[in-house]
Amino acid sequence: MTPVGAGDRGTATAAVTRLALRQVRRPALVVSAVAAGTTAVVVAGYESTAGTALDAAALAALAENPAVRTLFGEPFALDTPGGFTVWRTGTVLAVLLSVWGVLATTRVTRGEEESGRWDLLLAGRLAVPAVLGRHLAVLAAAVVIAGAATGVVLVAAGTPPGGALRYAAGLVLVALFAVSTALLTAQVMPTRAGASGSALAVLGVGLLARMVGDGVAALGWLRWLSPYGLLALIRPYHDDRLLPLLVLAGAALLVGAAAMALAGRRDVRAGLVAAPAGRPPRKWLLGTVEGFAVRRMLRPLAGWSTGIGAYFLLIGLLATSMTRFLSDNPRFAELAAQAGFTELGSVRGYSASLFVLLAVPVGVFAASRLAEFVAAETDGRLTSLYAQPVSRNRLLTAETLATLAGVAVLLTVAATATWLGAYLVDAPLPLAAALAGTWNVLPVVLLCLGAAILALGWLPRATAAVGVLPAIGGFLLQVLADSADLPGWVAAISPFTHLAAVPAESPGRAALKIMIGIAVVAAVLGRLGHRRRDLLG
Amino acid sequence: MHPPAIRTEHLTKRYGSLLALDDLDLTVDAGEVFGFLGPNGAGKSTTIRLLLGLARPTAGQAWIFGTAAAEVATAHQRIAYVPADVTLWPQLTGAEILELLGSTGPGVDVAYRDELVARFALDLSKPGRAYSTGNRQKVALVAAFATRAPLLVLDEPTAGLDPLMEREFRRAVVEARDAGRTVFLSSHQLAEVEAVCDRVGILRSGRLVDVATMPELRRLHRTEVLVRFAGPVPELTGVEGIDGIQVDGAALRFTLTGPPGPALRALAAADVTTLTMREPTLEEIFLDYYGEGSR
Repeated sequence: MTPVGAGDRGTATAAVTRLALRQVRRPALVVSAVAAGTTAVVVAGYESTAGTALDAAALAALAENPAVRTLFGEPFALDTPGGFTVWRTGTVLAVLLSVWGVLATTRVTRGEEESGRWDLLLAGRLAVPAVLGRHLAVLAAAVVIAGAATGVVLVAAGTPPGGALRYAAGLVLVALFAVSTALLTAQVMPTRAGASGSALAVLGVGLLARMVGDGVAALGWLRWLSPYGLLALIRPYHDDRLLPLLVLAGAALLVGAAAMALAGRRDVRAGLVAAPAGRPPRKWLLGTVEGFAVRRMLRPLAGWSTGIGAYFLLIGLLATSMTRFLSDNPRFAELAAQAGFTELGSVRGYSASLFVLLAVPVGVFAASRLAEFVAAETDGRLTSLYAQPVSRNRLLTAETLATLAGVAVLLTVAATATWLGAYLVDAPLPLAAALAGTWNVLPVVLLCLGAAILALGWLPRATAAVGVLPAIGGFLLQVLADSADLPGWVAAISPFTHLAAVPAESPGRAALKIMIGIAVVAAVLGRLGHRRRDLLG
Repeated sequence: MHPPAIRTEHLTKRYGSLLALDDLDLTVDAGEVFGFLGPNGAGKSTTIRLLLGLARPTAGQAWIFGTAAAEVATAHQRIAYVPADVTLWPQLTGAEILELLGSTGPGVDVAYRDELVARFALDLSKPGRAYSTGNRQKVALVAAFATRAPLLVLDEPTAGLDPLMEREFRRAVVEARDAGRTVFLSSHQLAEVEAVCDRVGILRSGRLVDVATMPELRRLHRTEVLVRFAGPVPELTGVEGIDGIQVDGAALRFTLTGPPGPALRALAAADVTTLTMREPTLEEIFLDYYGEGSR
């Protein structure tokens, strides 16, 4: 190679690095801000809530309860701000960072490849492993920044630097493991969706292994097989162990190396596992646009149902031990009541407070269906249907109805799973009560759907962001208003403020009607905009 | 009197400050094959999106067989459309896509569809993501030609097809015309338009420059004539219709506009050995519109 060529290679590498940076930097900043922000809020709030309220006996009771351990992880060093923050936010942030790591990795690698945008790139001087290497480096830098920001916040809050360092390193390594896993599945699986799905499944099994390992003493070793379990085993601010960190680093390195080794052995736009070249037609639900909307939803709905069903089955299984713990330890019940969870001591109160949370994933599901509808319009998949003798209103109605059916399925799955779990541990929760509880969040989900349709009509590219606003924004607003003592009208903006704790209380009909009314008005305005605007793409 | 297949009045579309289509008045009669020519960015796809109601006009209106283009549920009963850039649902196989478009569309001639699938050598078992550009286009073409819709709107449908498939495409267009269907064919491929169209509209920077039948379009322009002589070269200056005379030894090259009678009479006295007359291709006519001045 001539010296000029060598220079070009350096330029090419730098150009690919810049490309990867451009695609990752904005979401990476958001994720870092969320990680650091959540940590800051919890560590700053420690003194006012738990710090003064917990005595040694209460802590011991907490640490021994299998339900608490299963849901939130093994508590330790709760008498220090650092230990308390790690217990409260560690698993959540690790899940956030690792899920983002998986989705970002498959998006900027296989996603770009599938769209054909890498064809030009790979026709240049750099081969697949080199291009992937640059993207891996950028993604690694992104999660290091998120972890470092969290660590800096903890040190700034006055917690011991040693614990902060180990915790931050643990977070980074969990996320790196997720990025490497996604990179590996992206080499193996035939499609981007398959790569994301199998990497997320690895994380899901890891989370489950952590929960079982924490909840059942005899299976504690399972935690050594899970990235989240290893993060907990570091025990920052308590033991500050190094071995779990080393295991995590080794696993991330091994998986990453395997991914890079396999990268050179596959065809571009294909995984090592070949996609089936053809199959006989499956013509069900292709006869009408309504049927087709349902057909397109079935696969994602199965995924959402599995996730929500598994979580609420666990909630049901834990019902007795959780409520017994809270009625035995009134101090915790008081703390929970301060945080907005009342009547946690009864099975109905406990399940009601958890059913309210269901509005978030189901609202996100509804918004994601409409966002997918816009994506199909933008990339031209829907063009052939818009060119059929079918009005735009009918197409949007079909999508809306299919989404509503999906929402109904998810709410019913959550209720049934909770009931089943409670039934297995003999907790008093009839199926009708569980159904009343999950269906109680329907107005918030409808607000999400209405907001998404409104955006679809007037600001289609913002459909996902506007659609999740009532659920995620409303939830965060309520939490913030509760913990920061904001004026009442601020909390009143959040739809969650107006949700009754069903099945512990009866649903507030007036509030439900107002929320449904707002959702319907938003949807009608959105349909009007959709009918009048130009189609995208 | 039947309403025309396509009619537009003052059809105008602005995207911000960009005038994509300026005051288009166009009538395409039922049963004709209409070529819609123009370079990239001339506004061909914009026009088609307006005709299909995918985009809303800034001003003016369009009708499909007398129905306002905005009433898509009615108007699309009579339209089959092939977009310029076909995107298929990645999980659906070709057969499933044809099933979906057939059952939600204006009706399908299943026997003709099966025949077209065979003629276009289309493998229907593959999922959408596995098709190449040309095969995606073939799926859309088969779906469109196999409908019973009386109007076919085709937006640069042969961009990804190989020459054999292009021949099949032209056959299908001829069959559609023979069956009394109207074809609106947007293209920048002149040979294609020349081969299949009855009339041509030429669009440039959002404006309709000209609408002409193929013979008219050719007549508007000069014929190139090359004559070789055994004896002396006659003097043709001033003969009606003759222009651009070049003498090259015993050969004479000139261009001829209008009827050839006067030129032939002037040549009759000379000792002509060969006479070559060449029709300009549409390409050359086209370049007359776009070749001079800025595009």
